[in-house]
Amino acid sequence: MDESTKRLLQRLMRRIPTQMLRTTLDKWGRLTGEQLQSMDFTQSKWALTEKLLAICEENELAVKHITELEMIYIIDNPNQGMWYAFQLMDPEDDAHSVELTQFKEQFKSHLRELIRHVSVKIKKHTDEAVWIRIAWGDTFSRPNHMKPTYVVHSLQTPYVFVTSLTSKQKPLLSQALVLSARYQAIKDANLSGRKLTAIRDLLMRQYHQVFPTRYPTPLAENNQTVSNQHIEREQAVPAANRLQAAYEAFGGGMLPQLQSAVYKLETKFRDHSNKTMTEREEPFRCVVKFASTNLLESLRHCASSGIASTPVTPLLSSIPLKGKNYFVITDNGPGPSSQMRQPQN
Amino acid sequence: MVTQPPPKSKKKPQLVLNIFIWEATQNKEKDLRSMDGASTKGVLSHLSLLEVQARSRKTQPQQPSRVKELKAKAEALMTQRDQLKAEIETHKSLQKLRASMDKQRTHEEEEEEMAEDSDNSQLLRLMARHTQLKDLLHAHDIIGGYNIIKTRKGKGLCISLTTAYNGVYLENYNLEMDLKPTLRISRDNIPPFIPLKSLAEQSNMQTDIRTLLDPLSQHLNAFAARKQQFKLVKELHKSVQVMESNALCSLLVLMFTVPREKTAVLCSLEYTDHTRCLPTRVHFECEDKGLPDSPQWKKNGSLLMETPVHKALITMKKMGDIV
Repeated sequence: MDESTKRLLQRLMRRIPTQMLRTTLDKWGRLTGEQLQSMDFTQSKWALTEKLLAICEENELAVKHITELEMIYIIDNPNQGMWYAFQLMDPEDDAHSVELTQFKEQFKSHLRELIRHVSVKIKKHTDEAVWIRIAWGDTFSRPNHMKPTYVVHSLQTPYVFVTSLTSKQKPLLSQALVLSARYQAIKDANLSGRKLTAIRDLLMRQYHQVFPTRYPTPLAENNQTVSNQHIEREQAVPAANRLQAAYEAFGGGMLPQLQSAVYKLETKFRDHSNKTMTEREEPFRCVVKFASTNLLESLRHCASSGIASTPVTPLLSSIPLKGKNYFVITDNGPGPSSQMRQPQN
Repeated sequence: MVTQPPPKSKKKPQLVLNIFIWEATQNKEKDLRSMDGASTKGVLSHLSLLEVQARSRKTQPQQPSRVKELKAKAEALMTQRDQLKAEIETHKSLQKLRASMDKQRTHEEEEEEMAEDSDNSQLLRLMARHTQLKDLLHAHDIIGGYNIIKTRKGKGLCISLTTAYNGVYLENYNLEMDLKPTLRISRDNIPPFIPLKSLAEQSNMQTDIRTLLDPLSQHLNAFAARKQQFKLVKELHKSVQVMESNALCSLLVLMFTVPREKTAVLCSLEYTDHTRCLPTRVHFECEDKGLPDSPQWKKNGSLLMETPVHKALITMKKMGDIV
């Protein structure tokens, strides 16, 4: 094992928490039973790393095996780093019948055509998602395994999720994806978050959505301490309506965990008490960012508790409806797909 | 062409013109230069004759038979008017009755007592109920039996599409739609691999919403059926390994083990018709090249094309073809 491979393994060991080490190594399957037994998981991480290095030397493992281990760990723990969603546009006629082997071969060959030194690993996860690990090199240097890009895509859906991609690498990846998935273009879906599962669930609509029905089921309500019987009684109907509106706008049950929503305003300044600003011709550029550990949950609570008025403003309900958390708002009518009309206020 | 002179008995102003035309055609052979003068003279004399006749007719009394005719006609028209008036009245009271019936249905109030409880009102009530049921059937026909409710005080609709397979209800999917300015889908929870947008574009949903709902329901039900089949394969047939499947459930690759020889057979099921829950292509791959062509496996191939996969596997196990 050469130096770079050793460093890769050391770095990976630092990343994997001790409690996950055993299962990850088990899944990896590159250690014999006895070798796995010989590792004492109560020791310090440093000691374990040394032991593992020795075992890998013994088994004559190479870079590709270490990257395998990394991929297994990332697939099982995808909710780290920053993930960005992309959307494939305009499918070709055969986009729906693209199957795994075809996609794998096409992707690898297209990417290798675009950039000579690249290391690609593709794996199919049990939930039908295709995971791709790309280590980028260039004309002169070998692939850099320290900064790999991970790509997740479900065939027959237009969504692609990417982490750790530089702006230089973006066009290369886009080209390879578009050609191998048989679409005509790819665009930024304006959705990002720390948790892959959250942004994926949001776009694939895999969370509980509430729709108006003839016989509405009672919605789960927060256990609020009954402060005053009279208030409770008076507020019963409005509170139920607010709850219904909040649940319809954002969803029921557990919501996908988004961490932020950003609104980039390019609208004219509107405050009659400030003449200098209102008189300006150019739009007032401003960025509004909402941040939370669970943004959708917070917004839903704002609506149900009455802090945000119901019906919920489209500015907020667009987050789950359009599956985006980055918006550009202008005064004019709808512009490009990432823009939204400002409500008359 | 010579035409017959128009009958002089019909005393109408039109007559004058007809005579003029007839005279003109009669004088065609005459000298052109003198034609105008000659025909004009002829027509003018006719005109003056008619004028005299008309003047004398005014002072004559009406013929008695004509009077009778007109009187009879007047009577007939009056009876018709009375009939129509009666029909309008019935229709009005029917509408009133129907309006109160519709209100009853939505508010479930006590039935209002009719002022007169005669046969007439009973009949009217029956007729109103009849129109109500007819309208209900028509509405049901338009929406095709889908569960639709009004939302936002009539500004929107929410349509619920149910899926079921093998007598078991599966997922419910919803479409929320705006009614103005045109019918438009505003929210849905249809999975992204179901081509909702293209189905909507290809449909005639502005005039007949079933052109969207029926194909959509077909796609959703077929998807739910395939998904359920794949799930059952995983649950009931642990000896068969699922090598590959996809989110749309349009592809299933299974690994069979043949008993005795313990050879592996790779079976690919392609479901290219997304409105059906049976495969469009079955393909076997095996190290033993002859196996897929054997009559037994050819039979298995057609079995898999015609039977849902989880059931087909039961048969194949019984026949001893797979473990």
